[in-house]
Amino acid sequence: MQRGNTLPQLPIGKDSERAALENARQALGEIILGKDDQIELALSCLLARGHLLIEDLPGLGKTMLAQSLARVLGLSFSRIQFTSDLLPADIVGVSVFRKASGEFEFQPGPVFSQLILADEVNRATPKAQSALLEAMEEHQVSVDGQTRALPEPFFVVATQNPADQIGTFPLPESQLDRFLMRLELGYPNEQNERELIVGEDRREMLSNLEATTTPDALKALQASAREVHMSDALVDYIQALVRETRKSPDIDIGLSPRGAQALAAAARAHAFVRRHSGVYPDDVQAVFTAVAGHRLKAAGNTSHRTAAELCQHVLDSVAIP
Amino acid sequence: MAKARGTDGSLLHSLPWTMASLAIALLPHVPYLPFWVTIAFIGCSVWRYSIETRRAPVPSTWFRAFLAMLCFLGILATYDTISGVGPGSALLATMAALKILETRRLRDQFVLLFIAIFLVMSSLLREQYLWSLPYLVATLLFIMTAWLRMSGNPRQPVRTSFRTSGRMLAYAAPIAIAMWILFPRISTPFWSVPIDTSSGVTGLSDRMSPGDISSLSLSNAVAFRARFDGPVPAGRDLYWRALVLPRFNGRSWAAWEPTFRAGAEEQVAVRGDAYRYQVTLEPTNQQWVPALEVPYEWDLDHTSMGRMQTLNRVYPIDQRMRYTVESFIDYRAEPYMANGMRRWFLGVPEGSNPRTAELAQAMHDEAGSDQEFIRAVLRKFHEEEFFYTLEPPQLGSDPVDGFLFDTRRGFCEHYASAFSVMMRSVGIPSRIVIGYQGGEYNPRGEYLIVRQADAHAWTEVWFEGIGWQRVDPTAAVAPERIEMGIAESMFDGIGEAWGLSAPAEWLHQATLAWDALNARWNEWVLGYGPTTQEALMNSLGMEEPSWRKLMLTLVAVVAGLTLLLSGILMLRFRPPPKDRATVLYRRFVKRTGVEPRRGETPDAFAARIAGGTGIAEAAIAKVTSAYLRARYAESDPASLDELETAVRAAR
Repeated sequence: MQRGNTLPQLPIGKDSERAALENARQALGEIILGKDDQIELALSCLLARGHLLIEDLPGLGKTMLAQSLARVLGLSFSRIQFTSDLLPADIVGVSVFRKASGEFEFQPGPVFSQLILADEVNRATPKAQSALLEAMEEHQVSVDGQTRALPEPFFVVATQNPADQIGTFPLPESQLDRFLMRLELGYPNEQNERELIVGEDRREMLSNLEATTTPDALKALQASAREVHMSDALVDYIQALVRETRKSPDIDIGLSPRGAQALAAAARAHAFVRRHSGVYPDDVQAVFTAVAGHRLKAAGNTSHRTAAELCQHVLDSVAIP
Repeated sequence: MAKARGTDGSLLHSLPWTMASLAIALLPHVPYLPFWVTIAFIGCSVWRYSIETRRAPVPSTWFRAFLAMLCFLGILATYDTISGVGPGSALLATMAALKILETRRLRDQFVLLFIAIFLVMSSLLREQYLWSLPYLVATLLFIMTAWLRMSGNPRQPVRTSFRTSGRMLAYAAPIAIAMWILFPRISTPFWSVPIDTSSGVTGLSDRMSPGDISSLSLSNAVAFRARFDGPVPAGRDLYWRALVLPRFNGRSWAAWEPTFRAGAEEQVAVRGDAYRYQVTLEPTNQQWVPALEVPYEWDLDHTSMGRMQTLNRVYPIDQRMRYTVESFIDYRAEPYMANGMRRWFLGVPEGSNPRTAELAQAMHDEAGSDQEFIRAVLRKFHEEEFFYTLEPPQLGSDPVDGFLFDTRRGFCEHYASAFSVMMRSVGIPSRIVIGYQGGEYNPRGEYLIVRQADAHAWTEVWFEGIGWQRVDPTAAVAPERIEMGIAESMFDGIGEAWGLSAPAEWLHQATLAWDALNARWNEWVLGYGPTTQEALMNSLGMEEPSWRKLMLTLVAVVAGLTLLLSGILMLRFRPPPKDRATVLYRRFVKRTGVEPRRGETPDAFAARIAGGTGIAEAAIAKVTSAYLRARYAESDPASLDELETAVRAAR
């Protein structure tokens, strides 16, 4: 029996929203090969109105995932390459004096897009980082004392490169917390890699990609994702997991209440993407590593070396109510 | 290949706990250990801790081996042996110190904590005081807390850790007590613990040389405690005989080796009422067994009456002993004695103490009879200027002459010696008896404490047909010493004239209370041996407790207690209430015969057991699906029925 076979699913039926989501999932799966779980998580993150941090080596498709997400979902896209000399103004924009009109005119920066790819976010100075992070948190930016709302939906995909930590400004825990999920893409398997080598050029595929939904439909999807039923037993489960992260001797800093909220929201969105009739423990487990991994601080003497191992350890120590 | 030696600071929070546990466990040993062992322990601890703070590597194997060898040789040099309690605990302490040096992981600290438990237990081989048990329990509590601190969450409050370990100890306590009561006690010679008594207990000496002592310090140490079955005899009748000094060389008196003499008991005739009492004797490392004069029956093993009507034990008294004696105050001892024997009690070296001999002869001629002569001598002590003092002047070559004619100051030994020499000079057999006189009645414990300060010397004279009679010349000089005893004289101010200073009254009362507690402890806890155990078992209704019976009872009681405790713990644990869906699902899980792993979702469980249980895959899927819907999806009464049907169908 395959995993996931027993989970009761809702039919797609005539629901156009759900059909659009399903199409988006398939389209993404055609470009990013063999990464269905990550695509599902990325979509869940987006539907839960969270931001995504992708951490992996160069060349594994981080940018490709972000760009195709924007394309498929029909979102306006801009990319900010973070460098050490990036200034906040380069992100949010500047007021420019126009001689003709004799007035200052605001020139919006790349942040005024619906989907932002913040590439190598840990290369920029904390000042530049915090400009982006403020935008992420508030969905608005302040320039010259004026507050400007950002377009909705607003979704940031940041990438960072774990192997190359020299000359970087690692994001502090408080800022990592702003990202709903952190994903690792990992290498494709042999068959998928072969397909990548001999198959169609991904860039071309990307330009041919058609939007399956509109920003307004996406907002409706986000609203529906929040409606997925979550039983008391499942809330108990989430609480038990959070409690375990706080009292486990392997973990120094456990999940905050905000982390618990994030876990619940992500699990709901995941259940929605999977068309589950309620949030199941499987949904919680599926998003747990992505949601909790970057929020936990391992204890110095733990034997679990990676965040994924640590999260799996937590999952293995908590009974499902 | 060299082993990894680096440290990463991860032990910083647990290492102090481990070291503190070891230090507390080592503390009772410190007064007995060679000084350098303690220094080595402290040195190693400080060194190791600084290694951890600096994240430096621990010393190499070769260096540690070198240190171990050095410590071993050091102990060998200090003790000349490695067996016994002293060298054993020194080895254990150095082992612990060196183990700290190679501690790199939590596992090593576990070993250290085990060593700490062993260390604190081994201190019982040395001494078992009243405070030993609380100390032991406190140490165990600390060690268990260290364990919890090490394995648990470091951010847990210390109080919580202590509470947890306290609770664990409390759970274990009933079982420990049951084991202590029921574990078959075997008479000591069978398995003897090498109790360390090399530290020498001051007791009675088998020599007496009053001229050489210029200051007698009174030791407050307890010699023995006596609990009387009936009334306690009056102070003047409390003469505890321990040994007799028959030999005199002109300056000092000496005892005979303690021996057994066949028929010694037949030489004693008794009259009147017997006093029955239990003596708890502190170890003396000597063979003399003090008893009220004159002992008639006793129950101490390997003990018999010697030729001087004293009790002698074959083996030295190397640990606390308890025995019951029946004594008669009215007695007649050895009324007839052969001439050869009698001469032993008349010996005065030729030419020694000439003035005394002269005086005795003159007084004897004047008195006319032996009895009158004795009275005259006592009267002389009483009426002339003789003083009782604990700080007498030193005496020259003829100490009895010097005492009688020049200094006239002394304590019991001086008077006994002078009196005895005078008796011998005129042909009355006499000897000196050493023992204890009096004792303080402790009303809190209803027993008599006899301290080393109550040690006393008196004389016995012999008459044909009457036997040995006690004469205490000290009573003539300082009747208070005999009537009231040392302790009471001290508080009455009389003792001041003798050179005694009294402690505060409240302090004395506290001492008495503490002593009563100690006595009970010695009696009931430390003295809990085969006899007491048998008595207790008999009173609890077990007839003729044998080794086998006790062992079976022990197993039964411990098993019962374990069940009881587990029962209580299980009752106190409240499992979360299960809803109907869970109950049904559990039924299904039970039927599969496979237990879900912790954290395994029903879906994962279904995938795992599919095909392996004899239940159809479809049925498993149906049950799982129905369960998930019933429990996690929006509530729908129909889903429960569906689940019930599915579970019933899954066979």
